[in-house]
Amino acid sequence: MIEKTGVPTKEDIEEITPPKEIREKQAVAVIECYKEIPCNPCYTACKFGAIKEFEDINDRPEIIYEKCVACGQCVIKCPGLAIFIIDETYSETEATVQIPYEYLPLPKEGDYVTALDRAGRPVCRAKVVKVRKGKHPNMTSTVTMAVPKEHSMTVRSLNLEDYFADNTIICRCEGITLGEIRQLISEGYTTIDEIKRISRAGMGPCQGRTCRHLIMQEIRNATGQNMEDMLMPTFRQPTKPVKLGLFVGGEGDD
Amino acid sequence: MITTEIAIIGGGPAGLSAAISAASLGAKVAILERDGRLGGQLIKQTHKFFGSEKQYASTRGFDIAKILEEEMEKYKDKIDIYTNATVLGLYEDGVLTIEHNKKYMKMKPEKIIVATGASEKFLSFPNNDLPGIYGAGAVQTLMNEYGVKPGNNVLMVGAGNIGLIVSYQLMQAGVRVKAIIDAAPQIGGYLVHASKVRRAGVPILVSHTIKRAHGKESVEGATIWQLDERWQPIEGTEKYLDVDVICISVGLSPLTEFLWQAGCEMKYIPELGGHVAIRDENLETSVNGIFIAGDVAGVEEASSAMVEGRLAGICAANSLGYGDDRFEELRRDYTEQLKSLRSGPVGAKIVSGLSKVTVKKQFA
Amino acid sequence: MTKTASVVIIGGGISGCAIAYNLAKKGVKDVVVVERSYLTSGATGRCGAGIRTQWGTERNCKLAKFSVDFFENANEILGYKRDIEFKQGGYLIVAATEKEVEQFKKNVELQNSLGIPSKYLSPQEAKEIVPHLDETKILGATFCELDGHLNPFHTTEAFAQAAERLGVEIMTFTEVVGIDVEGDKIKGVHTTKGYISTPIVVNAAGGYCRQIGDMVNVDIPTYSERHQILVTEPVEPMQEPMVMGFSLNIYTQQVPHGSFLIGRGDPTEPKDLRITSSWQFMEKMAKTACDLLPALGKLAVVRQWAGLYNMTADAQPIYGPVKEVEGFYLAVGFSGHGFMLGPATGQIMAEIILGEPTTIDVSDLDKDRFARGELVLEPSVV
Repeated sequence: MIEKTGVPTKEDIEEITPPKEIREKQAVAVIECYKEIPCNPCYTACKFGAIKEFEDINDRPEIIYEKCVACGQCVIKCPGLAIFIIDETYSETEATVQIPYEYLPLPKEGDYVTALDRAGRPVCRAKVVKVRKGKHPNMTSTVTMAVPKEHSMTVRSLNLEDYFADNTIICRCEGITLGEIRQLISEGYTTIDEIKRISRAGMGPCQGRTCRHLIMQEIRNATGQNMEDMLMPTFRQPTKPVKLGLFVGGEGDD
Repeated sequence: MITTEIAIIGGGPAGLSAAISAASLGAKVAILERDGRLGGQLIKQTHKFFGSEKQYASTRGFDIAKILEEEMEKYKDKIDIYTNATVLGLYEDGVLTIEHNKKYMKMKPEKIIVATGASEKFLSFPNNDLPGIYGAGAVQTLMNEYGVKPGNNVLMVGAGNIGLIVSYQLMQAGVRVKAIIDAAPQIGGYLVHASKVRRAGVPILVSHTIKRAHGKESVEGATIWQLDERWQPIEGTEKYLDVDVICISVGLSPLTEFLWQAGCEMKYIPELGGHVAIRDENLETSVNGIFIAGDVAGVEEASSAMVEGRLAGICAANSLGYGDDRFEELRRDYTEQLKSLRSGPVGAKIVSGLSKVTVKKQFA
Repeated sequence: MTKTASVVIIGGGISGCAIAYNLAKKGVKDVVVVERSYLTSGATGRCGAGIRTQWGTERNCKLAKFSVDFFENANEILGYKRDIEFKQGGYLIVAATEKEVEQFKKNVELQNSLGIPSKYLSPQEAKEIVPHLDETKILGATFCELDGHLNPFHTTEAFAQAAERLGVEIMTFTEVVGIDVEGDKIKGVHTTKGYISTPIVVNAAGGYCRQIGDMVNVDIPTYSERHQILVTEPVEPMQEPMVMGFSLNIYTQQVPHGSFLIGRGDPTEPKDLRITSSWQFMEKMAKTACDLLPALGKLAVVRQWAGLYNMTADAQPIYGPVKEVEGFYLAVGFSGHGFMLGPATGQIMAEIILGEPTTIDVSDLDKDRFARGELVLEPSVV
């Protein structure tokens, strides 16, 4: 299949996926060189002997995980841009994926970008945590992105445009963005009520008529909860904002 | 405190039908409508309705509103109409607080029919807060009530019935519809509506969604892109559309606040547009004396809303002891009408949704 | 799923989270907080969230002062990455009867003697602080600049997150369904997520504390009472302090976000666990508020809601162990002041549980004072 699409199959990927025990313990290079070609800079670049000596220059590289220190030299050297560093020890929920990047402009550290998979499809939002600019203009730069851990073996590219645009307004009354909602969900606030109380989304005059459904969708996307099982906040009187004086009678004239 | 036998919240197709049928059995009714005039969304509907004669098929929506108002004339001593009357709260003791012509009033009815309709769903995409992005309802209000064109070039997001009909109305008003897009892989609305706009040259793009709106002060353009079979956007399929209006018509959700306030048992039913109340065959909710009719009970067509209104009306009236002689016959008729309106493939989704929230009547 | 804890705290409001934090800070391991919904879902998340040092008894002044001192530095002490939004705009407490004037003057004397810089004001002086006040409706007022209010959600989160970093386990959406007692000793807690073996249970369940008491056959002399609040749309800053009146029956503040929170108490409110809203509240509240602060009549009400006060006969909390069951501790009956006392509650309860001398003496606030007829009356409550 990869011959026709340029996209490795599930089996191809399984073959090069580092074992779970290794991924849990250390950052490691993942070599996605699926076909034999006459090429060995990865082997010569590695100062730690983590890539097995080539018997034939056409050999596919074989990594000795225990020796890999994730220095990234092979990532920079690989002419096929086929080596990536993944680090699943980055945090409890996130992994980093370091990719070779030869486009301009480079993203900046702290930027949010869209992480793409091997077919260029958007996977998730990613935060750029490190940009290693090549020492010379013609050297390969690398970009390290933080992504949810389950995407460490899926994300292999990026698009500078933030499709999962966090600056999209979700709650118009209070000006709360999608990004803020996602941040809260990622911190463990996974009910509409908690999100409302911490961020005020849904506390405004419309009482969540616009944002509630959108927040429910985000919770579903992030946690897999069913919409029908979600704990619903109560709708409160009054149904539209009215002047306090109205209830005294006669005062609310406009 | 005003007292009445039946308060009907909402003066749209369901509410008006409920008022007529309840009053026809002899009950004293009050209609509470937040707008300045009755008719609800019917007023904006310039197209001819489907259904059968009993639901005014082939008649245009705004004409149906007139017919209903005329019918109400017959029972004018039984029906009190409050327009510009927003119900602010439905409280634990059954009292409604109301803002009526900017004044405060309270009403204590014996029964309540909630016929509040539905509100439009929104969509999140970058720049979705730019002026020039409207819900389909707002576009209809601008054009059909105030005679104002919302702009010159429109991107319609949503190919359900409302998206298709509003696109058609926009073209009738001389507005260019650049495209109708829908994230779903097929057109959601009636295909006759779709053909009507398609043959006027409007492209309908399924499996497409809006990527972002462009513009500084207001909408100047939109980028759309294609979705794959997993509803994921496909890189490189972006198209830029030169539009000054983006109309969002991605569905309706029932306006259920009063039912939550009253403590009705609610359930999330995607087929019906969101959370709706559990009800029995007489459209009475789990809270005794609170009935529902129309989109608030589950989003569907205005024709079914009107029949539901009739049904809720006679059931509320009968629970007060009115119309014992005619009740069963009318109830059978309305139930049959609803069944036939929902009988086709289009109704299958509604029927499936309703089966999850309709319980057998437990007579007290 | 059975686990073992050294202390199980029931209730994820301000009290429960503050107690957990203080125990963990003192080195107690395996503290578990059990909350049946999410944190602040009960009274904490529904309260007015004011804090005042202007009280009528020495101890309440001290407890409140302790809490104010804590809140001033709470973001740093608790290492909270957001903001608890503590705004010290003062409390203007208005007197509308001669009796109140007399009491307030006594209160100021007491407060000043304890280092609380409150002062007595004439109606005109009060109006200088709150220009939209109708000064003809009052006879005088007291003011203290230390007082203010904060965000109850963020404050509770700050305690909870600090507690978690110190090793406390917080179990949300977990309901206590039973408590095991052997002999007269606590053995463990049954929850909807399994059994927790523990020698100590702290009842910090607010409005629902009696139901917890029933599980160990301890009758807790409190009752729950509905209190209601409304909130307006946000507007430009126009009122610095909280304005409060006891006989006028109102408290209102403008939160940093711009909204006004307005509440009152009502002896006719239901004394059960109902937290529905009523139109009667809306009407009475509107009348009181527009009478005293006419400008508020022009503001749009966005929402009304209700929560439970857990009341005692003397409107003072119950702190400490109970005689009947060893290992069963109470932090209940706050009578509407549980939020502001949160930091003090956390500190004192941790001290009591560990058998240390308490920072502020609360030994007479035990459960049995009511049976003994030794009530500790506080004259200044809403």
